[in-house]
Amino acid sequence: MAYSDKVLDHYNNPRNVGSLDKNDPNVGTGMVGAPECGDVMKLQLKVNPETGIIEDAKFKTFGCGSAIASSSLATEMLKGKTVEQALEIKNTAIVQELSLPPVKIHCSVLAEDAIKAAIADYKKKQSALQASQPVSK
Amino acid sequence: MEGTRCWQCGQPTAGALFCPSCNHLQQPTSDYYKFFGLPQKLNLDPGDLQKRFYSLSRQLHPDRFTRSTPTERQYSLEATAILNDGYRVLRDPVSRAEYVLRQRGFDVGEQRSKDVPPELLEEVFELNMALEELKVGDESAREQLEESRARFRSMRDEVDSQLQQLFVRYDESADQDSANAILQEIRGVLNRRRYIRNLVDQVERELAA
Repeated sequence: MAYSDKVLDHYNNPRNVGSLDKNDPNVGTGMVGAPECGDVMKLQLKVNPETGIIEDAKFKTFGCGSAIASSSLATEMLKGKTVEQALEIKNTAIVQELSLPPVKIHCSVLAEDAIKAAIADYKKKQSALQASQPVSK
Repeated sequence: MEGTRCWQCGQPTAGALFCPSCNHLQQPTSDYYKFFGLPQKLNLDPGDLQKRFYSLSRQLHPDRFTRSTPTERQYSLEATAILNDGYRVLRDPVSRAEYVLRQRGFDVGEQRSKDVPPELLEEVFELNMALEELKVGDESAREQLEESRARFRSMRDEVDSQLQQLFVRYDESADQDSANAILQEIRGVLNRRRYIRNLVDQVERELAA
């Protein structure tokens, strides 16, 4: 099976590889894996506390080309979005953009799960933060 | 299969492969357990299974049906295929458990990430980092990998004995609800096992390289 040009492009030149400080309260970390192929994907996003916009996103994925391309694309899609907009990102958008074949759709699902997990982690940190220090107006 | 009648003589067959009345070969069931005449247990005696396999192989071999009706020739081909697939699946405890899971309506190939314990993911991630370091020539990673290998192997053994205990509990379960609850557990353990097996394979490959 041949990879699409877009998958190859993301695979050969992955965007936003790396990591963010996972102890930063404005950073959300999502770690997900696919049992069937042993892929593991870490996706992190950093929210600007002033604007509520995701200003940075990083990933590190161990897995097949499609899994790497899916997470690479996911980090690109995240940047510039609000957290609520980011929750709207669906795996189908990744499938379309990368022209993933049916056997690789689970890679895009994994990327969507990673986004959701990262946002859940971010929200958890934020609510813990708000609980510890009352909001001053 | 109960209530089926022989395509040749019309007598009830009670699901037997060969009609008890006229001894013609019947359309084979695609249920591996029924095909081998076994109750749906997760613990099987490998010796008994092998005996059944050889005995059925002799009875069903297409060569025995060269002078039979086209229907029987067709059935013998179908039966031989089911026999071989079924033996392969039932022989191995893991594929056997996956087969039972699928039959009971659990999706096996379609797990989502939530099925994998998070602490294992961290472990996998760290391991992959070490593997990558070794690939770029950082030999200090080798020791770390050897430790990982020992740890993953013991995890694998632990998972296998867990699975073994769950098989026993499934086979002894009193009703459908408790059987399903155990299958749910088995599914989780199989996911974990698959992950760990991949890790062991990966580490062993890298250390051998």
